Amino acid sequence: MPVNAEKEISNLWRTLHGAQSEICNTFYRWRDVAIEFAGPGVEPLDVALKASEMMGKDIGKNLLPRLNWLKGEEGFLLNLGKAIAGIWNTEGGIAFAEKGENPGEVFIKCTRCPWPSAAKQFGVPMEEVALSRERLFQTILEDVNVFFNINLKIEMLKAIPRGEGLYLFKLYKAN
Amino acid sequence: MAKVLFEWDYSSYPGAKAYPNLFQPIQIGNLIVPNRIKYAATEDNLNDHNGFITDADVAYMGSRAKGVVGGLCFMQGVYMDEKRQGQGYVGQAACWDDKYVPGLKRIADAIHGERAIAGFQLMDCGRVGAVEVDSGHAPSTVPQRLRIFKPMFEMTNQEVKEMVKQHVDSARRGIEAGFDIIEISGIVGYLISNFLSSYTNRRTDEYGGDIRGRCQAMVEIIQGVKEVCGPDIPVGIRLCSDELLDDVKGNTPDESMMTYKIAEEAGADYISCTLGWQESIYPVISRDIPQGNWLHLAKRAKENVKIPIQMAYRLFTPDKPNKAIGDGELDMWEMCRSMIADPQMPKKVLEGREDEIRHCVACNLCLARLFRDAPMTCYINPLCAHEHDERYYPQQVQESDKKEVMIVGGGPAGLECAYVAAKRGHEVHVYEKRDELGGTILEASRAPYGDEELMTCPRYQKRMCELAGVNFHLGTEVTDELIQDVLPDTVVIATGPVYSEIKAKGGDSKNVVNVLDVLSGKVTVGENVVIWGNRKPGIGAALFLAKQGKKVTIIGKEKSAGFDINPSFKWRYMIYMKQSGVTAYNDCDIEEINDGEIIVKTYDGYRLPVKCDTIVISEREANESLKSIVQEEGIEFFVIGDALVPRNLSSAVHDGYRIGLRI
Repeated sequence: MPVNAEKEISNLWRTLHGAQSEICNTFYRWRDVAIEFAGPGVEPLDVALKASEMMGKDIGKNLLPRLNWLKGEEGFLLNLGKAIAGIWNTEGGIAFAEKGENPGEVFIKCTRCPWPSAAKQFGVPMEEVALSRERLFQTILEDVNVFFNINLKIEMLKAIPRGEGLYLFKLYKAN
Repeated sequence: MAKVLFEWDYSSYPGAKAYPNLFQPIQIGNLIVPNRIKYAATEDNLNDHNGFITDADVAYMGSRAKGVVGGLCFMQGVYMDEKRQGQGYVGQAACWDDKYVPGLKRIADAIHGERAIAGFQLMDCGRVGAVEVDSGHAPSTVPQRLRIFKPMFEMTNQEVKEMVKQHVDSARRGIEAGFDIIEISGIVGYLISNFLSSYTNRRTDEYGGDIRGRCQAMVEIIQGVKEVCGPDIPVGIRLCSDELLDDVKGNTPDESMMTYKIAEEAGADYISCTLGWQESIYPVISRDIPQGNWLHLAKRAKENVKIPIQMAYRLFTPDKPNKAIGDGELDMWEMCRSMIADPQMPKKVLEGREDEIRHCVACNLCLARLFRDAPMTCYINPLCAHEHDERYYPQQVQESDKKEVMIVGGGPAGLECAYVAAKRGHEVHVYEKRDELGGTILEASRAPYGDEELMTCPRYQKRMCELAGVNFHLGTEVTDELIQDVLPDTVVIATGPVYSEIKAKGGDSKNVVNVLDVLSGKVTVGENVVIWGNRKPGIGAALFLAKQGKKVTIIGKEKSAGFDINPSFKWRYMIYMKQSGVTAYNDCDIEEINDGEIIVKTYDGYRLPVKCDTIVISEREANESLKSIVQEEGIEFFVIGDALVPRNLSSAVHDGYRIGLRI
């Protein structure tokens, strides 16, 4: 029986999108569990930021075997930016990294992000979504910086949950 | 006057004539070593989990000591701290207390019993240590690149000084145990190399900074150890000549040579020249690296220091080190894996018995096992790590128990079984339907990236069979009738596997060919080739065809391609597959074979077409043939190797050896 490509691809696509939306949903379900466990005095934002730190630390460790200084400083920075954008794409976003005008800077843009809509379903404030994303990326850099003996920073310039239409992060080498 | 521990005269041996440079004496410090051969310190995980020496390790070392015919024989590196942060292997010997001296003395005595020079190595595993505790120590807190390693925390200045003292104290214990030469391990990611490398040493005190600062801990260790050793016990060090860590800002080759010069200035009596770290992204010792590939680094070391230079690293045959020594590019030939595979290797070279050497096939199974807390095992030497166990040696059978043994198949399983059984006194007949011995290794050794070295195994086995008086019947296919005619006492079925049929629609197409026919060049294949089977035979064939410019796709039922290849080697194949454009669809089946394409079905039901004009079958199954006739005739029988369960060369050899002992 010949392969019906349209059917195969659409089935795969549906499965992929289902899995992607489960990433966000699972995170917010666990956020609720953590908040309930932590008790009435806890600030939900603190829980979310702590979770972002833990995930960022682990993602940073995963990146270490994949990064290579032989590509030179600019190449290294762009690769790192692409790796960060890749995390978003895996989650169901549309993101890419590109070199900035100045040496030692890379911009990561995300024009579609699945997190705000998932957050809405769980009643999570939009500012928490933005700050969590920033904290996640900042923590990714911690091990990368120590491992490669460099000082990279990442700053959030725009955020979709703040109504700014896109996420814009600047990844750069600090003095 | 230089000290001579044991007198050796090699002049009457053929090996000394063939390789005169290997059997010349050399002075190291104040000690005369009768030849240029060294069994280099190698972990074996044979000792108990508290660091005490076991019978297994004593026998293992005794066997290697015999092999070096008077040369240097080093026991594994010992860890030296009670906190066990420096312990890198679960069965690593310890030396942080005097209570370990009696055990260590057993090793020194075993080496001396073979009139060899006993070497003692100090090895704090640093960044790759802390195998039994939660975290380790390092010059700086640099995250681990590989998750299998524990987190490391920066040592205080006082802790560095304590670590230096631990080296000195342990050297004293080694001397008390009777060792003749002391070596400091500063390689592959162990603690001293962590201090030397710009990658892992970010300290700002006297133990960090520029290359001299980073060498300070090493200098203090060498000087301290030299002091307890006195003039008659040489002190050497193993150092990386190139860390191969340029992707993480490790030392430059020039900086590495500086470490050599500084070690020499500090008083080292020799340097063992190594390269690469466990974290390096480059291959160093796997089979795809040509023999002698790294000799230029020994030569460079010789150009930078005056003390003797030793080297192992892909020097498996005596010709290359013999020439390098003659050319002034090397002083001593070190061996690790070659003498794991054959502990008597240099002895056989000396005695002119090179065709009796069981050569290492550089598969790195030994390393893979050590890194996973398992005792040493050799892929092709079934006796390795069982030297202490009498049951692993062929025992002569009584006259009344002698049997006529028919071995069906002259591959690695059958040949191994044949010579072991013949050594025990049985009358052994090997029947091989082809005109050549070697079984499927004849074809497997045609795969690229060093697989031709696999042929050393059947060549060795054939020689051992000849020496043991095995009878060969080449070009003779064993049939039911032949078994009924001969009626042997025992039949060993070592026929190799049968190759699976593709049950999918179109599986009987003429474009479906066998992997052995492809590798031997008996059949031609098209431009778009699908290999059915994602284990090692399939990968070997895929790379063989990709080298010819074919577009190759591997399809197999295993969840990952090459799952049967040990992890210390598998990564090489994965890189070659990527570089060659070989695609692998794992956890998949072939659903349909059509004209010019096949339909692949994934485990979860998705279907995709793959361009294909030839399908190569490498998927294998157990071989059931001949079993019923031997059962009917009431003959004792064994099934070994791929005929039992399709696996690999190692399983064939180990099966053959064990059944050879049992018949």
